[in-house]
Amino acid sequence: MHKMDITYINKDEIVSMAEKMLSEKRRLVIMNGYVDKEGNNVIAYNFDIDGNLKTYICKGEKTFPTITHIYKGSAQWCEEDICEVMEVDFEGLKKGDRLFLPDDFDGSGQILVTPIEELRNKYKEKVDEEENK
Amino acid sequence: MSYVIPIGPYHPALEEPVHVKLYTDGEFVDDAKVYIGYNNRGIEKLAQEKNFIQTITLVERVCGICSHSHSLAYCLAIENIAELEVPKRGSYIRVIICELERLHSHFLLLGLAAHIIGFDSAFMYTFSAREKVMEALETLTGNRVNYAMNIIGGARRDIDKEGLKNLLMIIEELKEPYERIIDIFGRDKTVALRTKGVGKLTYDEAWIYGLSGPHGRASGLKCDTRKIDPYCSYEDFNFNMVVQKDGDVFSRVLVRLLEIGESIRIITQAAENMPDTPINLGVKIPRVPAGEYCTRIEAPRGELTYYVVTDGSQGNRRVNIHVPTFRNAASVPAMLKGNTVADAGLIVASIDPCFSCLDR
Repeated sequence: MHKMDITYINKDEIVSMAEKMLSEKRRLVIMNGYVDKEGNNVIAYNFDIDGNLKTYICKGEKTFPTITHIYKGSAQWCEEDICEVMEVDFEGLKKGDRLFLPDDFDGSGQILVTPIEELRNKYKEKVDEEENK
Repeated sequence: MSYVIPIGPYHPALEEPVHVKLYTDGEFVDDAKVYIGYNNRGIEKLAQEKNFIQTITLVERVCGICSHSHSLAYCLAIENIAELEVPKRGSYIRVIICELERLHSHFLLLGLAAHIIGFDSAFMYTFSAREKVMEALETLTGNRVNYAMNIIGGARRDIDKEGLKNLLMIIEELKEPYERIIDIFGRDKTVALRTKGVGKLTYDEAWIYGLSGPHGRASGLKCDTRKIDPYCSYEDFNFNMVVQKDGDVFSRVLVRLLEIGESIRIITQAAENMPDTPINLGVKIPRVPAGEYCTRIEAPRGELTYYVVTDGSQGNRRVNIHVPTFRNAASVPAMLKGNTVADAGLIVASIDPCFSCLDR
């Protein structure tokens, strides 16, 4: 059994943490995002440190600095993916087109906090509206 | 003359929906853009509304090839949050299914690569070998796609002595066609002409894209999670991490080809040394405290990560799934640059993409 190795950091420490990791040639394994029970945005940065996962967590912010200028390809889709499902922004992130969501989806950034029933009803209304046209 | 050539989202050479826009100069690709998300089924959102047992069934349906890897990664995350130690026999059974899954996934890619190259007899030969693996999976689990072998706390079903003997027999039968497939891919001129030096990706590029799995290892990255961060008792088995340096389509094929041999070794060791312990902890409905855990395992196509957050209730707060293709597909434009349009389909396929997995 592995234990999670978590360090909590604040927003101002993200870029320096990423630069340090890159200088030590640590691989960015993945970035994750979720909204906790209290409604805080939580972003987790997972790095490979000699075969062990090291997780840095920053929570409670609406905007986070991008690390795409440091980890480039590794971070690009991770940050874009998080932006689609959570109401957060990465300052300096050059967003491409949509990743996973349909072009005409109007609930971007709200998926994790909107009940599935509400999403279903919205979709139904839209389909009905189009059919009635 | 420059052209913009769209490939997909529905393309005869690629079995799953992805859209690649090629910006070309004559027949050479200058740049490319990859568009994903045509198969999003909202599985992460659905997982937020399911309990732990239902989620195993749900995540097993993220992918039709590496279904066992998905349920395993989820179970490992929950077991770590709940501090449950899986009995050895349960772990060994999980390893056997993982490696059988890797075998059929690698045979699938080799067959598809042969088909795209236009070498259909190699495709048929590879698929007949793959069929033996599918038979083994069907015999052991009762299913050919969703095996349902994982529960929280271990394996759902045991493999008895007769089953293990039968498995070893099938593995033995696999060795002859495997040798022949190595010979075909290793010596054939057509394969070499179509794959050597094509779709190259350097070590530095592979590192900065964070590539994983056979795709990363073909560019020299030492990134096999089974070796660097063992889980499920992988530390008990003697096998090699296959790494190549050229980073071209041929290297990607070769890594998978050699990994088949390593998987055969692992399955043989697991079947011959099966521990005599229970297969699971007998947990019906797990009590999972509030917590979070990031699991990573080596799925056939590379590193699969599950970030699971629980809040003390009977359901998930968040299940964030990232499949190997999430990493590897981003590197496609870099691989396509400077290659011909004719090779684009093969180059995209050489990362062994799974867009169904990716879109979840």
